[in-house]
Amino acid sequence: MPNILVVDDDDIMLKAIKNILNKDGFNVVTASDGKEAFELLEHTVYDIVITDLMLPHANGLEVVGKLRHNDANRNVGIIVVSSVGNEETITEAFRLGADDYLKKPIMAGELLMRIRKLIANKNSKTQFYTKKK
Amino acid sequence: MKVIIDFFSRGTFWDVLGIFFQYAVFLYGTSLLIAYGILAILSLASIRRYMKKNANVDYNIIIESPLAPGISVIAPAFNEGVTIISNVRSLLTFNYPKYEVILINDGSTDDTLEKLVNEFELVQVDFAYREKLLSKPVKRIFKSTNPAYDKLVVIDKVNGKSKADASNAGINVASYDYFLCTDVDCILDKDTLIKLIKPFMDEETSTVREINGDVQIQEDYKRVIATGATLRMVNSCEVDDGLILRVRPPRRILPRFQEMEYIRAFVLGKMGWDRINSVPNVSGGLGMFDKDIAIKAGGYDSLSLAEDMDLITRMGAFMTDNNKKYSVKYVPITLCWTEGPTTLKVFGRQRARWGRGLAQLMSTHRKILFNPRYGRMGLIVFPYHFFYELLAPIIEFLGILFYIYLIITRQINWPYAIILIVFVYTYSVMITTIALLWDQITFKYYKTWGETIGLCLMAFIEPFLYHPLIWFFALKGYFNFIIGKKHVWGNMQRQGFNAPKKRSTVKAG
Amino acid sequence: MWNDLANLLFLAYEQFSLLPLFIEIALVLIFVAVMATLIAYGSILFRRYNSSVYQRRLAHLSPIIEDLITEQVLLNENLGKDIPVEEIEFDQHALSNKAFRKPAVRQIIIDTLIRYRKNFRGEVGELLRKLYIDMNLVEDSFSKLRTFKWETKIKALVELTNMDIPISDSMLLPLTNSQNPSLRAASRNAYIQLSKNEPFKFFDIATEPILPWDQMEMFKIITTTKDITIPNFSRWVSYSNNKSIVSFCLRLIAHYDQRTAIPSVIDLLQTKDHQFRAQAINCLGQLSAEIAEEKLVTIYTSQPLNCQIEILKAIGKISSGKHLEFLKNEFLYSSSFDIQMNAARAIIRHNSQQSRYIITDILENTNEENQTIVKHCQNPLIKYQ
Repeated sequence: MPNILVVDDDDIMLKAIKNILNKDGFNVVTASDGKEAFELLEHTVYDIVITDLMLPHANGLEVVGKLRHNDANRNVGIIVVSSVGNEETITEAFRLGADDYLKKPIMAGELLMRIRKLIANKNSKTQFYTKKK
Repeated sequence: MKVIIDFFSRGTFWDVLGIFFQYAVFLYGTSLLIAYGILAILSLASIRRYMKKNANVDYNIIIESPLAPGISVIAPAFNEGVTIISNVRSLLTFNYPKYEVILINDGSTDDTLEKLVNEFELVQVDFAYREKLLSKPVKRIFKSTNPAYDKLVVIDKVNGKSKADASNAGINVASYDYFLCTDVDCILDKDTLIKLIKPFMDEETSTVREINGDVQIQEDYKRVIATGATLRMVNSCEVDDGLILRVRPPRRILPRFQEMEYIRAFVLGKMGWDRINSVPNVSGGLGMFDKDIAIKAGGYDSLSLAEDMDLITRMGAFMTDNNKKYSVKYVPITLCWTEGPTTLKVFGRQRARWGRGLAQLMSTHRKILFNPRYGRMGLIVFPYHFFYELLAPIIEFLGILFYIYLIITRQINWPYAIILIVFVYTYSVMITTIALLWDQITFKYYKTWGETIGLCLMAFIEPFLYHPLIWFFALKGYFNFIIGKKHVWGNMQRQGFNAPKKRSTVKAG
Repeated sequence: MWNDLANLLFLAYEQFSLLPLFIEIALVLIFVAVMATLIAYGSILFRRYNSSVYQRRLAHLSPIIEDLITEQVLLNENLGKDIPVEEIEFDQHALSNKAFRKPAVRQIIIDTLIRYRKNFRGEVGELLRKLYIDMNLVEDSFSKLRTFKWETKIKALVELTNMDIPISDSMLLPLTNSQNPSLRAASRNAYIQLSKNEPFKFFDIATEPILPWDQMEMFKIITTTKDITIPNFSRWVSYSNNKSIVSFCLRLIAHYDQRTAIPSVIDLLQTKDHQFRAQAINCLGQLSAEIAEEKLVTIYTSQPLNCQIEILKAIGKISSGKHLEFLKNEFLYSSSFDIQMNAARAIIRHNSQQSRYIITDILENTNEENQTIVKHCQNPLIKYQ
């Protein structure tokens, strides 16, 4: 079962996404701020990280940046889900290594589709990666 | 000649003076109490207006909007090595789409700068620095190579021995139209920027009038030049890395009195003044300013000991001199938590500085006092501060001397004296309790009713314990002002605290 | 017994009336102060009690409501099966919980639904709306719209627009002329979002300025509402007398990249208000209006500083390359630091062979101050606004 970490400071969003993803057979862990997310990331490797941008303790960009700089997490699929609409921030998120960006309010179906796509991509990539090793 | 000698030797002079003084003091006291009463009513009106107007506002709109105005957050730091990282992290996580954090390392002698450079991956950049406001030389400017921290600018400058000097350097670098001034060790609410920028964006700018069936618009443009919010003591709050988890009134008695005093000064004072557009001052711990006006008004004055009120005064005077209407707005929610001094020594130094600052401000800007040209500032704000803030400790001092004189000469009418004292006492308890009640209207910060009532009860002992302290230190400040004792502003006062470094440059009054 | 009391009071009053006036006043005020203090204590406790009751109720109800929404909406079996949302039915039993009849509870449900709607659109969003309608919460909102308090009316408008429920013109239009600015703004926003015929009616009739905050809300509504026909905003730029509407339209023109509006924006350069002119120039820059460039350079010398800066920015954005010499001269010979900065940025922004040549020239042949400015503007770490 793929492991997903969801980081958002809105508890309603956290619960809702958790429910929706659970139903579709994903294992979901939630964090409500940047610090909690970092602690979780230290111990477990996730397949997908879904993060908001404005978070207490550390912003979402930092989460993205740290993930990409960490060897264990380099291949994590990162989806940024945020209500921030300004272009610069979005480009910055991609520049730091986010795979996808969804603007709130989101469509649940779309989120699921993108998660599946990322996981599929990732699987092919890891195969390649392990072979090379 | 004989008449004059008689006049003195028979005591007529002293009698006349005594009677005159009695009346003057009575008039003064009554008017002061009436002023407090009016302020209480005004502040209730002002708080209710704010609550009604903002009850249904969706603050998320500004986070999504490309039209959000940019804000520069300016935070000077001196020898804050112990806490600097978590403080800066906290500044970098505001809920706001377009802002920068300008941290000014004001010639720290500890590892503040090193820590920043390591933690936030900073490199020195070629920065075209132009001195629009005076400050001590800027040595280097740093930016982060990590895009996650691209909001951060760090300025390394020569110590200017004042927060004003460091803030000016920050303003020179600021690239946005508004700036927020704060202390690096203050804990700010995540929504501070949203809540403080809003008044800039929704000041009523005109009135619609119907004349002869035609709708006419009267341009009545009032530019908001600054906004502020209430401050509280962080002393006994539960804090996790720059985030308030639970608000609690301070347990120790000295900061506890200060919490009460701050609530009274902000909720009753500032909000009341807000209603009649006469806010005298935006606290140095937290305030947002229109950069253009602040620069034109000359920025902070590094020689002033009340640099926050001094800036607002000069910005206001600048607007008046250019025949422009302006307003300063206050938000009745607590957005900033600051460490209140816990020892009498540090507290005394802080209050003496405030007293001295007030005296200095009144003498620097004396042309404004009673000057109708400066509108509300000349006719309300300054006279109020002159009589009820600056003169209050002096008059109180004279009053006590007079009472002692009456007691010694056995002229005192004890029943009346006691009635008057009881009157002043009950009135002061009432005003404080009302302030705490108003505070409950906006937001119930304390979790239990015990904490709330516990704070309220402080009002009963305040006149005996806390008030004399404030009074004494204010007089000390005035004394220093008069004899012109050299005041070492920044560093000495900051070193008064034990590690971790804390300082309080916030003025509540 | 009553006589005794009356006598006593009379005696007390007699004593009292013999006192000097200021003591009398003091005694009265002592009484007032003590009473006021007691009342203040009473209301603090009363308020705290009320809010703790509410908090407890909320703590009890929130999970129930969230479960309802989770089961009926988020995890609805019929989602994602290409069934039209209108045809999805809820479990009537779950909806008819007795607790959901109390007005206060219904308010909590509405607030929770709105919070969900802020996070979800698409099928889930539609289904949230259907739940709002099926539980007849619409009526709650409409009854709020009929009260006299303006803040309650605003709440109703916020709820109805969030749930995308049409409001009849006869109900909404009177509110758009309200004396209360907040209500006026909220109802206009509602009108733009909900009126399908002429959402931009207010652009024609509004006479008073639209505050920046309200502009922001309007901007969001205009740019995110589905099926709104975006008109040509140049219409108002040319004909409206309302400055705030014109400046708002300039932003919309830039946002929608309405290049057909360029001529009317150029006409706006005639205006006497320099703030306003600066906005027009900024808009031309965002539209990359190359035909305006010549004109901008011509009027440059007669402009105040803020307009000059906007002109430099605009030329940088247009990047036609025709005015690089002009920019270079401004950079080298202007005494204003802000002009130099913006000229340098404009040159760098061109990013053409010629502009790079100018930059190298400046870096090699001019004084240190100029070099720092150029280096500052070139540095990708220093982002400008």
